[in-house]
Amino acid sequence: MPPAATTDSHLLKKDHLKGFLRKLSKEYRLVAPVRNRHSDVLFTVIDDLDGMEIELTEPPQNSLKQFFLPQQEQLSTYSVTPEGYEFHPTQAIIPPTVYFGVHPCDLSSVLYMDVVFSRRQRDPFYLRRRQGSVLIGINCNFPSPNCFCNATGSGPFIEMGSDLQLTDLGDRFLVETGRAPGHALIKRWQGFFSPAEAKDRAARYQAFLEARGRFSRQVHVEQAIRRLEAGTVPEQVWEDLSLRCQDCGGCAYVCPTCTCFTISDQQRDAVSGQRLRNWDACTFAGFTAMAGGHNPVVAKTAAIRQRFEHKLRDDVRLTGRPSCVGCGRCVGICFGGTDIIRFVERACQGSL
Amino acid sequence: MTNSINEIENAEVILVSGSNTTEAHPQVARRMLDAVDRGARLIVIDPRRTRLAECSHLHLALNPGTDIPLLNAMMRVLLDEGLADELFIEMRTENFLALTGVPLPLINQAAQLYGRARKAVICYCLGVTQHVCGTENVQTMANLAMLAGHIEKKDTGVDPLRGQNNVQGACDMGALPNMLPSYQAVHNEDFREKFERAWGARLPEDPGLTLVEMTHGGAQGVIRGMYIMGENPMLSDPTLTKVEETLRGLDFLAVSDIFLTETAQLAQVVFPAACFAEKSGSFTNTERRVQMVRQAVAPPGKCRADSEIIIALANRLGYAMDYDSSAEIMEEIALLAPIYGGIYHDRLDQGWGLQWPCWDRDHPGTPFLHKYYFTRGKGYFMPTSHIEPGEMPDHDYPLLLMTGRIYHQYHTGTMTRKSERLSRESGQALLQINPADARALGLRRGETVRLVSRRGEITLAAEITEQVALGMVYATFHFSDAPINLITNNAFDTGSGCPEYKVCAVRVEKIMTN
Repeated sequence: MPPAATTDSHLLKKDHLKGFLRKLSKEYRLVAPVRNRHSDVLFTVIDDLDGMEIELTEPPQNSLKQFFLPQQEQLSTYSVTPEGYEFHPTQAIIPPTVYFGVHPCDLSSVLYMDVVFSRRQRDPFYLRRRQGSVLIGINCNFPSPNCFCNATGSGPFIEMGSDLQLTDLGDRFLVETGRAPGHALIKRWQGFFSPAEAKDRAARYQAFLEARGRFSRQVHVEQAIRRLEAGTVPEQVWEDLSLRCQDCGGCAYVCPTCTCFTISDQQRDAVSGQRLRNWDACTFAGFTAMAGGHNPVVAKTAAIRQRFEHKLRDDVRLTGRPSCVGCGRCVGICFGGTDIIRFVERACQGSL
Repeated sequence: MTNSINEIENAEVILVSGSNTTEAHPQVARRMLDAVDRGARLIVIDPRRTRLAECSHLHLALNPGTDIPLLNAMMRVLLDEGLADELFIEMRTENFLALTGVPLPLINQAAQLYGRARKAVICYCLGVTQHVCGTENVQTMANLAMLAGHIEKKDTGVDPLRGQNNVQGACDMGALPNMLPSYQAVHNEDFREKFERAWGARLPEDPGLTLVEMTHGGAQGVIRGMYIMGENPMLSDPTLTKVEETLRGLDFLAVSDIFLTETAQLAQVVFPAACFAEKSGSFTNTERRVQMVRQAVAPPGKCRADSEIIIALANRLGYAMDYDSSAEIMEEIALLAPIYGGIYHDRLDQGWGLQWPCWDRDHPGTPFLHKYYFTRGKGYFMPTSHIEPGEMPDHDYPLLLMTGRIYHQYHTGTMTRKSERLSRESGQALLQINPADARALGLRRGETVRLVSRRGEITLAAEITEQVALGMVYATFHFSDAPINLITNNAFDTGSGCPEYKVCAVRVEKIMTN
């Protein structure tokens, strides 16, 4: 939608982007999508602004998940004393970090993770990484072939959630300020910015309209959500897709909103060890297996059921929107052709 | 593979034999399933009802060890139905004979599907080769492909799926008893001379021994010293009691590996090796693609790359071996191994590597083989007929045991069993047994049973499943606590020296407590 006239918006010339980032990098750790020498784009900690190529169009292969919920994180160490186990929580110093160039899908997923890790119980390990983080988003003018954020309500442009939100207008960025830290950044380095005019806001709206027309897929997420809620997805769909799932866990690992984890203790020697938290996935049989071997989830017919019901039904009930953000990462990684787009297509079949 | 992996996606018919592809080669299975989604027909020949068999259009659940009669029957159908590619046979092959077989409706259907397809590939794996007649099985497969003419075009071919990242490269580099690098035969004087000039040393004129000839030599075997690299015969070779006797009887054993394996524990000297992420060089995968591997992290402690260990060892043994980098070794490979003639690190550094044969610097590599001619000239129809497995079930040992792999573990588990997550998914040896057989023995799910053959016995847990047919059981060789190769038979394919891991006779005993 066109931004309201009251929105606080500014212009940043592209020539001045690096200068602005250099200022930011003096006070923050800077993370941005970087194209490496094998031409993969990955969110990377920028330690040399001049030696790295920041890529703002092609979406990064990793999401921001690993920065807030690392694939493996030490929660504490322990020692065995005559009195019993003694736990020493791991102290981690997380520098205040600016995440720059975050696409709307990844912004939405951080907002979702905030709900997961602070709604009922506050997760101190997540929150200490999240607190003091600044999110600078970039709207997507050119969605990638697997993208379908238009169908999940999380893109291609976003109105809320970031501290600063950029839109590429050719030689300049339109910069909108979302939350207080964004205002503070603009104020702190106001020399880089000039006020946006009505024609800039009109150009942003035009870019948004054009981006909406550039999606190459039409994925009927809303219809699948309704069918899941109504219980009209045929059993055969679950069975067919579960049979094809190759159990690699790739979907959960690349997914920006899959937050399942397992905590395990690793013994170092007879009297000490560490407690680790690792990513896990509901599609793994071992995730639900009970002691003694019984598994309430029959892998062959229901391995992927939990995953899709959670994202497209349970989270809709809980938060009003699906926790699939339409980034398409699982579509590219899936070995068996059981990604969420295939599920949505199968679930919606026969609707005429 | 005669094909590239991606070509599988374009095939109209895919015939998979003796390959549990979704578990053993997921990346290849992914292409097969993509092809199915695009309308390809999938035929699976496997005694077990594997995941891939469930996804197939036709599952030919043959009795283990009867590949040749089955494939011959398919050829009979092709001939009877006029589906043989007569022009191809006339122009490109010789010694074609009418082979007889047993016509069954399913075989008929499979043959029709395969024969009538415009583009069809055969993928096979160890279920074909780990038999006393492994060589003949492969020859029969080649006969079938030649008969249907499914070999000279893109998206058609015969594809053995190699199991390890670099097993193809090891064979290419002459890690075979009868071959110098690039499949230049040891017995050929010209080839030997070429290498002797380059290396400044005399080379033996006779082929060496195959793996099992070495590890089954016995306590007084002719081989007195061994240097074993990245291999764990104390778990992977058949009849482990014999392997242990042989290795313990050596005068000297050195092992290099990244962990202290069962084999390394018997060694006098153990070299800690660097793993894939700790060294630079190239691997050659199943589609003959040579790819760069770049060091990501430094090796821990005193670990060194295999090449560094070999170079240091050669120098201590009095041979001045001098290479400064793996790129320099690659230059020597290009010099001496014609199929690698145009492969250099600077070329590999760009893009996704090169597929051999790649004859010179300007050659773009070869996505699929045998386009205009076979290596020997004309394709040869090698007539084959049924060969009985080395041991079949009988009164005392009424069940047929097949061995193989499962998804979450890799080979002897030296690496994968170190992972807590993989062990959670599959952490113990299981014996797959048909529900009817389990009922007859009074077994419950997960019950520990004794598995007995003429060679030995182990205990492991029963997994009751219809994946295996009545009279068959299946187990994996990943677990050192239930070493299945104490059980397997001491029979080999005389052509390749490959052990018959896929068939032996066993008995399952219920363990009585109290």
